[in-house]
Amino acid sequence: MSNKPVKHAQAAAEFLEDDPHRLFHDERLWDMRQKRDQQMHGMPEWQELRDRASRIKEHTLANLPTYLEQFEENARRNGIHVHWARDGAEHNRIVAEIMGKHGAKSLIKSKSMITDECEMREYLEPRGITVTETDLGERIQQLDHQLPSHVVVPAVQKLTGDVAKIFAKYYGTDPNITDPHKLAEAQREAARPVLLSGDTGMTGGNFIVAETGGFVVCTNEGNADLSANLPNVHIATLGIERLVPRVEDLGVFVRLLSRSALGSPITQYTTHFRGPRKGGEMHVILVDNGRSDRLAMPQFWSSLKCIRCGACMNTCPVYRRSGGQSYGSVYSGPIGAIIDPTFNAKKFSTLPFASTMNGSCSNVCPVEINIHEQIYDWRRVLAEKHDIPFVKREIMKMAGRLLAQPRLYRVSIEGTEIALKTMPRFVLYNYLNPWGKHRELPHPVKETFNSWYRKNRLKTSTKKEHESA
Amino acid sequence: MSSRDTILDKLRRNRIPREDDYELPPVKVLGDLDKSIERFEKSLQLMGGEVLPQKAGQTIEDVVRARFPNTTSICSAVPEVEGTLKITDLKTHEQSNEVDVMVVRSPFGIAEMGSIFLSEVELFDHLADVHLAQHLVVLLSREELTANMHTAYQERSEFKTAFYGVLMSGPSATADIQGVLIRGAQGVRTLSLIWTS
Repeated sequence: MSNKPVKHAQAAAEFLEDDPHRLFHDERLWDMRQKRDQQMHGMPEWQELRDRASRIKEHTLANLPTYLEQFEENARRNGIHVHWARDGAEHNRIVAEIMGKHGAKSLIKSKSMITDECEMREYLEPRGITVTETDLGERIQQLDHQLPSHVVVPAVQKLTGDVAKIFAKYYGTDPNITDPHKLAEAQREAARPVLLSGDTGMTGGNFIVAETGGFVVCTNEGNADLSANLPNVHIATLGIERLVPRVEDLGVFVRLLSRSALGSPITQYTTHFRGPRKGGEMHVILVDNGRSDRLAMPQFWSSLKCIRCGACMNTCPVYRRSGGQSYGSVYSGPIGAIIDPTFNAKKFSTLPFASTMNGSCSNVCPVEINIHEQIYDWRRVLAEKHDIPFVKREIMKMAGRLLAQPRLYRVSIEGTEIALKTMPRFVLYNYLNPWGKHRELPHPVKETFNSWYRKNRLKTSTKKEHESA
Repeated sequence: MSSRDTILDKLRRNRIPREDDYELPPVKVLGDLDKSIERFEKSLQLMGGEVLPQKAGQTIEDVVRARFPNTTSICSAVPEVEGTLKITDLKTHEQSNEVDVMVVRSPFGIAEMGSIFLSEVELFDHLADVHLAQHLVVLLSREELTANMHTAYQERSEFKTAFYGVLMSGPSATADIQGVLIRGAQGVRTLSLIWTS
């Protein structure tokens, strides 16, 4: 993996060049946010649900080793093989070993962010294993050699025409198809034979239940239930933070998940796996990959409460206008900005700056993660570690000095107002001012608040004070 | 030290949140407790499912055949429907892939979501076959409704006994291409419900 900082702003600028993509992306995600709001307004208990979800997750994380052991014991009792992986590399080795034992060569899988995080396809494919993503959006991204753009809708940055071109290349369909129904049908037809002949199935897991030794997979397309049940071997890759203690806790999370994600009451399929099917074999790989380190970070451990609904992405004005690809990471948007730096602080040092700090992400988060505050904390951590670019660092230092001295600040504000009025465009809109790249600078005001206050209020209040004395 | 012990040891030593600071909230029932047939039907239709009416004098078999008049392949997992073959007759996935209509019985439904439950018990261990079929017809008793997800997980022991338990809320669906909602993605294309008493 390259260690060079992701050029988020530059990639976002490129995304903004094309109006049809830019406008659709913004509208589609905002529509998901509005549908989420409609669901929320129909449920008076919404805030109580969020509060309970947050408390259940906090309690589980505070007792994580105990609950992991409880899960392991119960899963083993149900006949599940339980494996542990410290990192992505170990996870990938375990998958290859399980498949090797069966002489298996074809892995059919449903969408899971964690296998992307482990870079599993990149490991297995050179070893002669064909990995087929069976979720439509994830498959589109796989064929196009891109990371998912969004945790719930992986190909949301693409238009129908883009998908038609990709399917024409790989599935031999008409490149000029304009009806998404036809493309979805092409995926169904292409996936069926692969599903029927696949020798190993793989899913992720949205929730792990300590008490039952089971896990829950929430999907819409039906591909996960096919992938898990058609082959004799089912491998589930599960992040260790996905635990909840009791089966009843699922009630809280299932009610929140799809409503927060897509604004639908529930996913079409909510599948509870608790053991291998008759004659089958089930493996669970519990993956750490940086999670135990994150749980040891005072400001950032609560990001492990995340249930990957993507609500923070849908609401974020920066994400909606920059597109998931610009983040250069498996996790994009506000949640990506706070968890990506835990994987690689240098590479993802630019992401906590992709925020206006409006706090909307924290307000929609179903498990009440203080996302915008963690974005701010990351900026501080990265600045202390000097993991931010020279220009930004110097400008911040100058701003710091200026804001610390009221008199100097006032003089410079007046100067800025004059500059906005009188300077030619090329002086105001250039590479030193990225803010002005895609928008106009504010109109200059006739008078600053401070000078108006001095003239109108300061004198009256001093006079009144004199009179009352 | 094994990976298991390394991970557990690291979590034990280094984690910031500690047991005593975060109590587990007791289990609670929240939300609308209406478990009426009307609520269930409304939720099911919102998720893309349909309810098949049973007219006087019609058997369940008649209702299924009326919904799919042109089909030559009805696979049944219930005694109420003869169909063209039984789920237990399916021997290979290729054979299952040819099934047009699958008829099953769900032990319970959830009014809040319009969800029906299926496990290895109702499917006679034919777990994939129900998803390979083109269309699904579900029989559900009017007496077996629970109000919402909280009551479902608290009342229904199936969640603790089944090795495979799926809540299906309407047919398979996707909106992965330009946000257009498509009912009938990779699993069943339609899901229809017939009430029984």
